[in-house]
Formats: sequence, C-alpha cells, structure tokens
Amino acid sequence: MDQGINRRGFLKLGAFGSAMLATGSGLALLSGCASNDGPATGYRYFRQQDIELLTPLVGVVMGPALAAVNASAEDGMKAYDDLLEGAMPGTRATLFQLLDLLQLGAARWFLTGTWASFAEQSDEQLQQTLADWSAKENSIARMALKGLTQPMHMAWYVKPEAARSTGYPGPPKKILA
Amino acid sequence: MQDLSSLPIKVSDPWKDPAANGWDVIDGRTIHDNRTLEADVVIIGSGAGGGVSAEILSQQGLKVIIVEAARLKTSDQFNMDEGEAYRDLYQEGAMRATKDAGMTILQGRAVGGTTVVNWTSSFRTPHETLNFWRDRYGVDGLDRASLDPWFAKMEQRLNIEKWIMPPNANNDVLKRGCDAKGWHVDVIPRNVSGCWNIGYCGMGCPTNAKMSMLVTTLPEALNQGATLIHSAQAHQLVIEGDTVTGVIVHPLQNDKQPTGATVTLKARAVVTAGGSMQSPALLLRSEAPDPKGLVGTRTFLHPTNFAYGIYDKEIAPYYGAPQSMYSDEFVFKHGVDGPAGYKLEMMPMHPGLNTALVGGYGIDARQQAEQLPNLAASIALLRDGFHEDSQGGRVELRDNGEPLLDYPVNDYLLDGTRRAHLTMLEMQFAAGAKQVRPGHHDAPYYKSWKEAKAGIASLDYAPTITGLGSAHVMGGLTMGQDDSHCTVNSDGSYKYLNGLYVIDGSVFPTSLGVNPQLTIYGISARNATRLAEALSV
Repeated sequence: MDQGINRRGFLKLGAFGSAMLATGSGLALLSGCASNDGPATGYRYFRQQDIELLTPLVGVVMGPALAAVNASAEDGMKAYDDLLEGAMPGTRATLFQLLDLLQLGAARWFLTGTWASFAEQSDEQLQQTLADWSAKENSIARMALKGLTQPMHMAWYVKPEAARSTGYPGPPKKILA
Repeated sequence: MQDLSSLPIKVSDPWKDPAANGWDVIDGRTIHDNRTLEADVVIIGSGAGGGVSAEILSQQGLKVIIVEAARLKTSDQFNMDEGEAYRDLYQEGAMRATKDAGMTILQGRAVGGTTVVNWTSSFRTPHETLNFWRDRYGVDGLDRASLDPWFAKMEQRLNIEKWIMPPNANNDVLKRGCDAKGWHVDVIPRNVSGCWNIGYCGMGCPTNAKMSMLVTTLPEALNQGATLIHSAQAHQLVIEGDTVTGVIVHPLQNDKQPTGATVTLKARAVVTAGGSMQSPALLLRSEAPDPKGLVGTRTFLHPTNFAYGIYDKEIAPYYGAPQSMYSDEFVFKHGVDGPAGYKLEMMPMHPGLNTALVGGYGIDARQQAEQLPNLAASIALLRDGFHEDSQGGRVELRDNGEPLLDYPVNDYLLDGTRRAHLTMLEMQFAAGAKQVRPGHHDAPYYKSWKEAKAGIASLDYAPTITGLGSAHVMGGLTMGQDDSHCTVNSDGSYKYLNGLYVIDGSVFPTSLGVNPQLTIYGISARNATRLAEALSV
C-alpha cells in the first residue's frame, strides 16, 4: 500500500470534514435547526433539539446497559448531560457543532448513510444505521461516531448503580475523620 | 471475589481547616472586587513543577504566590466516585481530546495538578533521552549524571521506592507474560507512604498515602508563608517592554466561568507551571514575543494504545496499586531515533473508563462491559518526538482562549501502534489469556496468538478507529540553547522576556520514554533552586 497517497487522501478528507462541520453548523443555524434557546427543561446543557436528536441514539447504543438496571433512554441522556458539567465551554461548543450538523438531512446521509432523522427510525433501523455508520471509511464520520458515543458510555457507567451492574463491587467507604 | 466496598476509610485531612494551620489560602470564588497583590515570585500552577518550585522558593525566604485554576479539593472529598473525579480533577472533565478526536487526553486539573490523579509511577529520565536533548537541542547541564542528585533528592522527598507488595492480578499479567517470553520486566518505583493498596490513585488518594503535591510541597510552602489562590485562572502575563512584571488573573465560579473580578499579581519573577497545553496557551494569550513561531509546537503525548485480555480467573483491574510492573524491552529496541519504541505497562480499569475505551454499541458493548472483573488492560506508551516523522502537535487557542491540541495521528504512530498491539497480544496470551483484543474499532477478540497475528495483519490502521489516548502531555515550550528550535533556556528562563521562567513538563524537547512525574520533579528542583539563588543575591 502506498502510505503517502493514503495520508494525503486522509488529510484532504480531514480538511473537507472540517469545512463541512463549519458550514454545516452555519447552515443549521440559518435554517433554524440550531436555534440556541438555552438548555431544555430538566437539563443543564443539552438543548431541546439535542434531546430529540440524541435520545433515540442513546436508546440503541446503550440499550442493554440501560435495561440491566431498568433505566430509560432519558436516564442515559440525563447522565450524558451530567458528564458535560465537567467540560469547558469550548469542549461543549465542539459537541454542539456536531449535533447542529446532524440536524441536517444531507449531513446525516454523509455521516451515517441515512437521510432519516433518528427519531423517525425504528430500533431495528437505528441498529442498521449504527452498523452502516461504524463501517464508514471517511474520517469525519468516524470522528462523529466516536465523539458522540464514547461519552455516552463514560457518562452512564460512572453512575454507581450502572457501575455495579458490570460486576464491579464499588469503592471502599469514605468516612470523615 | 474481591470486594472492597465495605472497607471503611477514615483518615484525617491536613486541609480540613487551612486557617487553623496558619495557611494563607484564598478561594477565587469569593473574589468579586478587583485587587492587586505583590510577591517576590508568582507561580502559575500547583502541579509537579509548581509544587516543587513553591516549596524551594519559599524555603529560601522568598514571598511566593501560587495561582491554581482548579477548585481546592482534598482527601475528605476524595470519595472514589469515578464520575466526580473526572468532573472535578481532570482537564475538561476528562473529555479533553486532540482536535480531530484521534486521541483522548487524561490530564489533571487540581490543586496539586496531575500528581493528585496520576498512577504514581516514578522513573528517572533515560540516559538516551537526555543525551538526545543535549545533542539535538543543546540542552545544557541536564545530562543524567548532573540530574541524578536532583532525582535522588526528590525520591527522598516523595518517598519514591520500588513497590514492595505483590502486584495486583492486572500487573501480574505483565510480569507472567514478559517472564514467559524472556522479556525485560521490573517493579515500578512509586511515590507512596503507607499505601493501602486499594486502587484509587486516579480519583484522588483517599488515604493521603500518595505523596502528591497536595500533601507534600504545597503544605510546606504554605508553612513557609506562601499564599495559594485557587479557583483562579491565569489569563495573561503583564509585559512591560521586554520584562514580565506580573499576571492578570480571573477568579472562577463553581462552573469555571469568571466571577468578573480581576486580580493583578505583581512579582520580580513569574514562573509558569500550568503544564503542557496550559503554559503555551498562557504565552499565546499574552502574545509573548516568539520570533520563530515556536510556542505550542512540539507538544508530545506518549500516544498510548491498548490491549484487553479476558482471563478465566478474576483480575479485578479496579483494585490494587494501579501500576506496579513494567517492561522496557521495546523502548529503545530500534535505537533512539528509529521507528517508535514503546514502554509496556498496565492500566487500572473502572467501569466508566473501561466502557469509553472499549467502545462499540448495543449488546456487544454490554457484553464487554460485563467482562470487567476478568479483564486485564495492557498499554504501550509510544515515544514521540525522536524522528523526523514525529514532530508532535501544536497548541492552538479556541475562540474563547482555551487551549486545543492539533496533533494528527500519522503513519509513524500507526506503525508503532500495530507493532505494540502485536507485542501486547503475544504477552497476554503468554500470560494465559483466554482471548485478547487490541484497542481498535474493527478488532474482535482473538482466541489464540496465531489467530491474533493474522487478524492484526488485516486490520486497517487508520486514525480514530485505532484506539489512542494519552495521560502524559509534554513539551510545547522547547528547552535548549539552540535558538532556532527552542524558546526556553536550560535554566528555565524564557529567551525573549526577562522575569519569565517555565518550570514544568512544557520544556521537554521530546517525550521521555517513561512516565513524566519524576523528570518534572528533578528538573524543576534544579531550576527552581537556581532561580532562588538568582533572586536572593
């Protein structure tokens, strides 16, 4: 394999991806998909459009993990929201840029392989979308998948009840001296 | 089954009442008025570089003010909750990553810096690395023979000794695997005193056994009359002509946003010790003179890759001293400046970190999450910065002034990762793993070394799908006498401003090939001592 061509190809895709992120979230703003009305009711950071976009995805990515402790996709979203508390404004801005982009059908098609919004897809269809998305070879799609799903796991499994569901017995008991 | 969940931990916290100790500790959250404070030296950052500098400078009778962006959090609040630790003790709530999300970065943000959350591994800098710095960057007076007395001093100060207890099952995998292969393996020196061997180094030591800056140098500096201002972000240097005369500081609220007040700190000398990314970012925000545009370049990560082994017997990777065995078999195997060499260690695994690294979705992700009690996690730290194809990353500023590291994952790192994956899988099978998986999005669990070799040969080693992370951020303000590549002199002074000193891991011209804390301690002790002498004349 010619590594040089491979790398150049990757860099081009990366530049294209960054440009798409920038113009895509601009477009989303113009079309009203990314209106920033502040956090949704019951959330500290996620906006209403983020909840509608992400909750179905959390339901499928984290489904068996949530079911193990009788939790809902909404519980998974709340945990995700809690995780964002530690982040800096710049960290959150990058995430919101990606979420704004995913509001656009064309961007969903490019990143995930489907125009349909996540909310309009059945669990089976979402499973297929995730499988297609996982198999994508463009770097921006890979970034998006990792950027969205990696925090879902961390956010959920740091919750003590979820943590214990993995077989981890939990930490020792801290007693104030 | 190992279960420590009913073990009570009751230890007194030296920070319970700072005023009762006679310590001058100012909480930035309470500052709503503009004020000016003066000192001989202002130290920005309270981690490995700042803590050591604060102790040495204040012991010489100099008035020291330490500024720390993080909120004070101490052992009474170290409750071993993984989520709270990431939120309160890590940069960006442990969500820090490189610009293209190719590598996740675990870096501390605490009073005491990363020393509060590191896994205690303490190694002297390899000769090979120090010689490379001397030969390529003109680093002066920091060869191993010159540094050894400083390392010895800090080893004594922080009780650094090889771990005498048996390794936990996770680290025993490395020992057994390397022994079976005939590879180098040895015991890790740790900075602990009276360690309970419970495994929560990464969440703030609840027993104060870890000799972090929080329980060693910072209390001593405060005893000597230093002032600590926490929850306060160093925003910009005050530059008058070609001299730094102070720092503009923004006190922060609980949500890390400015209170709106400004604290101006004036001093004869300013030490930046915010750690890599933070120190270069301060110079960038301050528009410090940098004629060659070098500030923030050559930032290194020891890009770290992973291998997960499943065992019949319980491993409990969440309990016990997190790192106690290592192998240097492959660190300099291909020379100092050849293909990437790597150090082998193990990584403690708690449910959040484990599932975030392992990734996936749905049933497959859940099954892997449930294997945690039988999981061993090995890591390989790639030496970056020693080859022309390994120039590291560059620190940029986001629109709001926060640092962001642009460090694309290139073929040099991916080649090193593929070789390290092979090594770690071979080692884990030799240690008796039932199945092993490299940290790669497309990789399944392999059932034998033969199957693994064939599987790895067919994997696509590309950015993002190849799992890479870092817990060692180094460089960005390169030290050396070669002005064409360096911005900081070997004594820590900044080349283009008087009164500014860089005393932290930012000055490393390359990565190290070992966990960085002892290198930062040793070089900081040496350069802080020189600064104290210069200021006391």
